[in-house]
Amino acid sequence: MDFPRFFRSAFAGCGARRFSTAEMRVIAYSPLPNRQGSLPLETRMTRPRPGDDDETDFGFTRVPLQDKQARVDAVFHKVASRYDLMNDLMSAGMHRVWKDLFTAQIRPPRNAPYHHLDVAGGTGDIAFRIAQAGSPRTEVTVLDINGDMLEVGRERAQKRGLAERLTFVEANAEDLPFPDRTFDSYTIAFGIRNVPRIPRALSEAFRVLKRGGRFLCLEFSHVDVPGFDRLYESYSFKAIPLIGQAVTGDADSYRYLVESIRKFPDADLFADMIAEAGFSRVSFTRLSGGIVAIHSGWKL
Amino acid sequence: MQTNDDKEPRQQPEAGSEPTRIDPRLLEILVCPLTKTTLEYDAARQELISRAARLAYPIRDGIPIMLPEEARPLEDEAIAR
Repeated sequence: MDFPRFFRSAFAGCGARRFSTAEMRVIAYSPLPNRQGSLPLETRMTRPRPGDDDETDFGFTRVPLQDKQARVDAVFHKVASRYDLMNDLMSAGMHRVWKDLFTAQIRPPRNAPYHHLDVAGGTGDIAFRIAQAGSPRTEVTVLDINGDMLEVGRERAQKRGLAERLTFVEANAEDLPFPDRTFDSYTIAFGIRNVPRIPRALSEAFRVLKRGGRFLCLEFSHVDVPGFDRLYESYSFKAIPLIGQAVTGDADSYRYLVESIRKFPDADLFADMIAEAGFSRVSFTRLSGGIVAIHSGWKL
Repeated sequence: MQTNDDKEPRQQPEAGSEPTRIDPRLLEILVCPLTKTTLEYDAARQELISRAARLAYPIRDGIPIMLPEEARPLEDEAIAR
């Protein structure tokens, strides 16, 4: 899922957001099983852990923990069809450069089996790059909680002739449906910000990686260049919702994106969280003045 | 592997294309997301069954949906079967 990535900064200063009618409907109905909304049930929420509390951030709004996934899902379902266009417009094409730099970190062997897991990767942007860099013995499993995004990804894979190297699974980053030590590497690009319980997703990443496996995360971060920070601020809070409104008719979803970016931990703090999940040699690289950062860790 | 394609209302392949089937590579690795135990593949119903969690996860258009909230709770007789 790429999409929320760009949205976060937009309305950060505006306090409580309002939901669109469609979103309210989804939220109001959240106890119902809803294929489109992939709504969380009590089953996922009954294992409170130290550090968990009952609320989480939805942009700048505090929401009950069990509501976050439904709200995030609603955002993505609304924007799925124009996702790529929006990413290009909002990042002025930069998201492609970031993704290229990100996936260049993964080098599948040319003549040995290699299994990669890309989480929150529905549309296939990351998976295609890794599959292309590998050999016919490279398999990339794309996992997303949003079935619409996966459909988009699978169609694209077929058009690009990459279907043989890809598999698609609809699942939750917090509860991966794979055995321990399954994958050689794990990526999550512009996705972890939308996970209600990030420590749990990180633990799952650690669990499914083989010893020697690599964890990589591409996510919005915090601009730390004097002058540029203010420019970025006003661009994200003013321009992005306007672009969202013009292209998708939905400023609210983009407002969420901008807000969620601002709420995400800074690079140092996020690195600590990765280390806490068990990863070694944790490091990060800021790109584009800190608009995004690549975090890396190893399961040793 | 799949025996009741023609009865599957959700699978309406465009003319000339086959209904998409679950990739056998996935069948080898998938486990129940709640219990991490192995699954049984019910090709007729297009479901992945977790006896430990008493849930049947649907496969829609070849994509397994490994979300407990999307799964069908198993009745007792199905478990005994």
